[in-house]
This record gives sequence, structure tokens and C-alpha cells, in this order.
Amino acid sequence: MTSIAVDTRRRPAVWGTALAVAIAAELVYFTLTTRHFAEHGHGMLVLTEQFMPTGVLALGAALVILTGNIDLSSGAVASLSAIIVGTQLHDGASIASAIVVAVVVATGVGALNGAVISLLHIDSLLVTLATQFIAGSVATSIGGENPPYNFSRIFLRLGTGTVAGLPIALLIFLVLAAATALLVTRTVFGRSLVLIGYSRSAADYSGISATRVLMGVFTLSGFAAGVSGVLLAAFYNAARADSGTTLLLPAITMVVLGGVDIFGGRGRVGEVVLAVFLLGFLTQGLLIEGYSSLTATMVTGLLLIAALVLKVWLSRAPGQSLSRAMQNALRRRLRLAGPS
Amino acid sequence: MDWRQYAGRCRNGAGEASVTTRAEQTPSPGIDGFALTYTAQGICKSFSGVRVLADVNVDFKAGEVHTLLGENGAGKSTLLKIMAGVYSHDAGELRLNGELLHGLSPRDAQRHGVYLVPQEPRLMPDLSVAENVYLGALPRGGLRFNVGWRSMADHARELLSAVGLHVSPHSLAGDLSLAQQQLVECARALAHGCKVVFFDESTSPLTAYDADRLFQLMNQLRGEGLALGFISHRLDEVEAISDRITVLRDGRVVGEAERGAITRAEMTRLMVGRELAITARAAHEKVAPAKPVLDVQHLASPPQVKDMTVQVRAGEIVGFAGLVGSGRTEFAESVFGLRAFTGSITIDGRTSARPTPRKSIDRGLVYLAEDRGRNGVFAEVDLSRNVTASTIRRLPRKMRVLLGLSEERSIARDALQSTRVKAATMASPIKTLSGGNQQRALFARWILAHPKVAILDEPTRGVDVGAKEGIYEIIEQLAKEGVGVLVISSEMEELIRLCDRVYVAYEGRITGELLGDDISLESMGRLAVGAT
Repeated sequence: MTSIAVDTRRRPAVWGTALAVAIAAELVYFTLTTRHFAEHGHGMLVLTEQFMPTGVLALGAALVILTGNIDLSSGAVASLSAIIVGTQLHDGASIASAIVVAVVVATGVGALNGAVISLLHIDSLLVTLATQFIAGSVATSIGGENPPYNFSRIFLRLGTGTVAGLPIALLIFLVLAAATALLVTRTVFGRSLVLIGYSRSAADYSGISATRVLMGVFTLSGFAAGVSGVLLAAFYNAARADSGTTLLLPAITMVVLGGVDIFGGRGRVGEVVLAVFLLGFLTQGLLIEGYSSLTATMVTGLLLIAALVLKVWLSRAPGQSLSRAMQNALRRRLRLAGPS
Repeated sequence: MDWRQYAGRCRNGAGEASVTTRAEQTPSPGIDGFALTYTAQGICKSFSGVRVLADVNVDFKAGEVHTLLGENGAGKSTLLKIMAGVYSHDAGELRLNGELLHGLSPRDAQRHGVYLVPQEPRLMPDLSVAENVYLGALPRGGLRFNVGWRSMADHARELLSAVGLHVSPHSLAGDLSLAQQQLVECARALAHGCKVVFFDESTSPLTAYDADRLFQLMNQLRGEGLALGFISHRLDEVEAISDRITVLRDGRVVGEAERGAITRAEMTRLMVGRELAITARAAHEKVAPAKPVLDVQHLASPPQVKDMTVQVRAGEIVGFAGLVGSGRTEFAESVFGLRAFTGSITIDGRTSARPTPRKSIDRGLVYLAEDRGRNGVFAEVDLSRNVTASTIRRLPRKMRVLLGLSEERSIARDALQSTRVKAATMASPIKTLSGGNQQRALFARWILAHPKVAILDEPTRGVDVGAKEGIYEIIEQLAKEGVGVLVISSEMEELIRLCDRVYVAYEGRITGELLGDDISLESMGRLAVGAT
């Protein structure tokens, strides 16, 4: 009998390499063209504080998108978390209890999303669109006319402090990212969520409980939004009712730029992490160079389209034309019949 | 050509044709008065560097059913799809009545009168039958820019009766059975005035009865001078319907014969390139009466399942026969926990009140789904994760949490080798395997779950003729190891070959139970249509 080779080599991370090269190129460019870029504080590391709340949100979004779902509420839930931690601190709660309350509430909203989606079988896009409004308006009403600002210096260290030269926010992000990566690749839960993303019906027939997994995934997305909100409040030293909402689309962009298939299944957390840094440094670099945030957003849009095309181009079969490869990629995503 | 004239002619011809006693009709001249031919010459086609067709020549003539025969992957479907404009060819030419066709799209092909009835009908489920028939060529109403709904329904009604389908043109296409949907596809071909109609394995999802009806229609269309192309795996029906047979193997034409000039054995030999043992009822050892591992009492899951009582003992292979729509798959899905039901289910002595697939697997019941592409494989996922998908929770873990990936791969590989899957590496996506190997991999998935009962729904569907015997061996091995096996199959020969006992279902009820030598085509066929 012919034996099946057990391939112990890891699949070549073509996209990860492409992202790493792009990050290196961008860092070199900004260092050469902008005096402040590398010198800013402890160097460019400090810049990462600016986009770590988005990065944490992207980790949660990655889990949801891997299952083939979407969580539109996570930005608003991050706002809610920021407002709650702010008001708690102003009401004299201890830092620890304020953070716990905020994160628990956010996780609860995520669990609610998961329950409605998996028990009532309503599409996640619609459910989270609804909870986005609910969380956003609750945040606004709790915040009131004068949302809380000016917190204790110890709390602010979460957003802008450093340990051994490394921003605390960056460390929190990296720890969460490592945990997410392990969760996806090395746990029963992670394997289940990936298989559900590849084919919900095959997962059902394989005895994988989509109800449990989706509950878990949306709960984790809520947790990530909670952490993101706390980091936001600590970074800005203020809690605004819309501070998290604007992070939603950049976070989803990071996930897609990181190579996660928007229809679920395919994707690596490590590459999402690279995309967080690519997009984060790009935005910060452009702002430091003096471009407006409008320009930065426009460049982000262009980058996203270019990346999606490049990704198909890199993974096309030898000798295949780009347009044919794009067609095939679309067919595969829509799960149409035809040659692959 | 006017549809009216057409529908009229169809009706006239309807009475005289039947499959088994086919009136020998001389090919009448083509519709436009001359003999129509559609020729493919020197067709080559590769998909991602894999050659699928190499220098293939075929022609389709008016008044003739030309059958393409071959194993899965021989290139039959690809050839017809090229001729119907679905795929483009790399080299060679297509000529319709001598006219060279360039850069054909499905729409062009239809305009030229070439129509492909796909294996699975592709109708719009939420549109009416009439709308589906005229899709792409809706008749205009009195205002010239509106749709003539009334005349469309009238025209459709006549076309439907011409193809022998008696449903209202206003009914929704999604409510029709598979067989009825195929007839709607045929009506579509007629509505568009098509003269060359290809049937891509149209009979494989059909029951014998519905297949017969389709053959009647094909005979009738042949009598009217259409050129018909047909693909099938079933040699008996190929013999019954074909005027000419072309055998393909590995993308090449390996034989061509007129009807009657080739025997079944020769066809098989040409298809697989070697002789095959005739499948007959295997000599089964008498199964000692063991305790039932699956005991289902009065299961009902309306509307498809009304009252079914089924028992399977350890080490026994039990068949489940019945027509499409008899509720067999719905029965299995209810038992596995995918549908709500009433009645009682006992697995290995334990009654399960509200089963879920996960609980069923834990209790020792597994279900090999009928639709492999949708409910079986994770097409894009590597072999290893495909095989362990149902037993992820039982994999070895480090520190009680982290999956041991290398252990997982070797567990999966052992399972794959026990079912003799041929693959290069564990890292290849399962979709790169042949149908038979995919099915073997799914068997490996379920063997890993250490089942006590296995319900196998159409276990050899989409598997090459030559690979079916291998699947039977796996099933027999399972039974030998004490697993109770319930085989749901539309291929009655398969049940005769495999089973110790057969249940036959009709419209949601068990109409009979056959033992040993009583299992025959006749007895099963009679019970499957509700006769006693």
C-alpha cells in the first residue's frame, strides 16, 4: 500500500511574508522621510499605543469572521466599555473593579449577541447591527452631557505607560494575540470554529455544535471589545460615547488585510497581527508626515483593494492569468461548481 | 420555429414511445429540413495544468441519442460543458452544421440551439415553473415592454404537457421534486427552440420510474429529429437508450460503437481498462442473533416520515430501499439528531430522548450523509482535519487543552490507511481527491468515532464503478468488527450485494422487510411503490 506522507513542514506563509516585507518597507520609508517617526519618544514602539485598541478589537473580529459571521456591534461595545470604566472611576470605584465591571458588561453584550444569533437563527449581520445601536445609545446615556475624563495616573499607564521600554498596551495586545492564535490552531474550540467557517453544514453533520461555538465566539468578541474600551479610556484620558465606534471598520479592514476570508474558514491570526501593524504604522506615519486623516483613510482603502488583488495573484496556479485566478477565487468563495 | 407547432408535435408523439419497447424510428430530418450535426474535433482541455481532455472527436446527429460513457474524471461532463459553452476549450474546434463556433458562452450556445440539462437542475426555486421555462426569453405582452404573463403561462402549460410534466405553470420550481425539475429543464430547452440537448448524468439522482419517464421523453425528442447527448454510469440504461456509444477514459476516446455492437462487459472493460468481476450477492456468513444496537420505534417526522420502525443488530448489514421521497434520508437525519421527531430511539440499550449529532456520535451512532459535497467533506480543508472533524474532542491534548497536532496527523493517517485512501500527503485539501477516495476518507472519519451503529446514506454515490467494490469491502469489514450497519441506497443491486436484511419504505412508512434470498429487484421494486 502506498503510504501517505505526513507533512510536518508548515505551509509556507506567503501572505505573512508579503505583509512583513510591506511593514519593513513602510518603516524604512517613514524613518527616512520623517525625522520624528523613529525618534518619537522611545522610537516607533510608542506609536503602537495609538492603534492597540483597534488591534484588540481586530482580534475579536478575526474570530467572528473565521466562523463566516460578522460582529458590527464590537465598536459600540468598546465605547460602552470605555464609558463604564470612566464613570466607575469617577464614582470612586477601584481601578480593578472598574475594569472588571466594564469588561464583564461588554462580554455580556457579546454573549447576548451569540445567544440571539445561535438560538434564534438570525443572521449575525442583522443581530449585531441592532445591538450596535443599543450599545451605542446606552453608552451615550450613561456618559451624559459631560462624559468622564481625567483619570488617575495609575489607570492611564494602561494606555500610555511602558514596562522595560515596551508600551503596556502593546504587551496586552501581544499576549491576547498569542492567546487567540493558540485558541484557533490548538484547541477543540478553535478547530470547531474554523470548520464551521469552512462549511456550516458539513460541521453540523460532523457533530460540531455550532450553537456552542457561536455563543463562545461572540462572547469572546464582546470581551475583546471590553478590553479595547478600557485601553481607549486609558489612552485618551477620557471616555467618549463614540470613541470605539469609529474603530470598527479599521478593525475589520485589518482582519481582511490579514488574509482572513470574509466568508469564513481560511485565515491566520499571526497574519492579522501583521496587518494590524502594517495599517497602524501606515496611518500614524502619514499623520506624522503631515497628511490629513482623510488622506490616511483614502490610502487605507487603496491598500485594501491592492492587497486583495495581490493575494490572489500570489496564490494563483503557475501559468494562470490573474483574471482567471480572480474568477476562480470568487467561485470558490461563493461555493459554485466548476474547476478550481 | 414557433413553440405552438412544436408543442403540438410533441403531444402527437407522446403516446407511442416507451423505453423498453422502443419503436424503431428512422431518424427524421433535422428541424430545418436537413440533417443536423454538431461536431467537436480535436478538443483539448486542461484545468490548472491537469489534462482533462486530449484530442477528443465526437459528433451528435439529428434523430440520434449519443451516449458518452466513462468513469468519473474521464472527461465526459467537461466535453459536454465545452460544447454547451460552459467551459472554453484550449485547442480544437466546434462546428454546428459546418459552421465554426468561436468563444462560445452558454448564452451563445442556447442561441445556436444547444442546451445542457445539468446533473442537478439549476432552476430559480422562488420563481414559478413558467418563469423558469422562459427565463432569458420572457414573451412580451401587448405593450411591447411588459411581460405577457398570461400567454407565457399558456405556452408553458403546453410545453410542460409536451414533456409529460403535469403541474401548474404557476407552481414554484422549488416545490417540485428533482425529477420534475429536470423535466422543467427539458421544457426550457424546448422553449428556447433548442435542437441539440445534452443530458449530463440526468438519471443518476432519479428513481428507476422517473428515469423511465425521462427516457420516454428522450425517445420522443429523438423522433422529432433533435440531436441528444447523454452521460450515464448505468450500463443497463445506456444499452436501452443509446443509438451510439462513445467510451472515454482519462480524457481520450477509447471506443465507439453502434447500439447492439458492444456488450456490457466490453463497455466496462473499455471504461476501466480491465475486466471486472460481476457483482453478485456475496456469500454472507449467517449472523448470530445479537442484541439490537439500534432500535427505532414508530419514528415520525412529518411530512416525510410518518411511521418507521427499524432495528439493526450488531454485525448486521441492513438495507433501506425506497424511492427518492420515501423518507429514508429524513429518517436517518432524525435518528442522528438533525430533525425534530416523535417516537423512540434506542442506541446500544440507551434511549436518547432529544439527540443531537454530537450526542449521537458519543453514544456510538454515526451517519454518512448523502450529499458528500455539502454535508460530508470540508472541501478546502486538508485531509488530516477532515478525518478528525467528528472526534476533535477525543484527540490527545497537551496540558489538557492544546491539541497535539503531530499526534493528530498520525491518528488521521492510520485511519486513512485502514480505509486505503490514496493521497500524496496529509496536507492536500480533500477536494483534490477522487470521489471514491473522498468517500473512503469519510469512512475513516467515522471509523475514528468507534461506532456501534453506522447509517450510510448512498455510500457509493459519485464513486467510480471500479471503486464501488472497495467501498463494499469497507462496509463488510465494519460489520465483521461488530458494527450494525444500515445502508440506504437507491441502487437495488447494491442492497442485494451487501445486505442480510432489507427494509423497504414508501411515502414515509415501512412497507416491508425482506430476508436473505427474498431480497430481489422484483420484491424491493414492488414494495417501493407501495404494492404488497
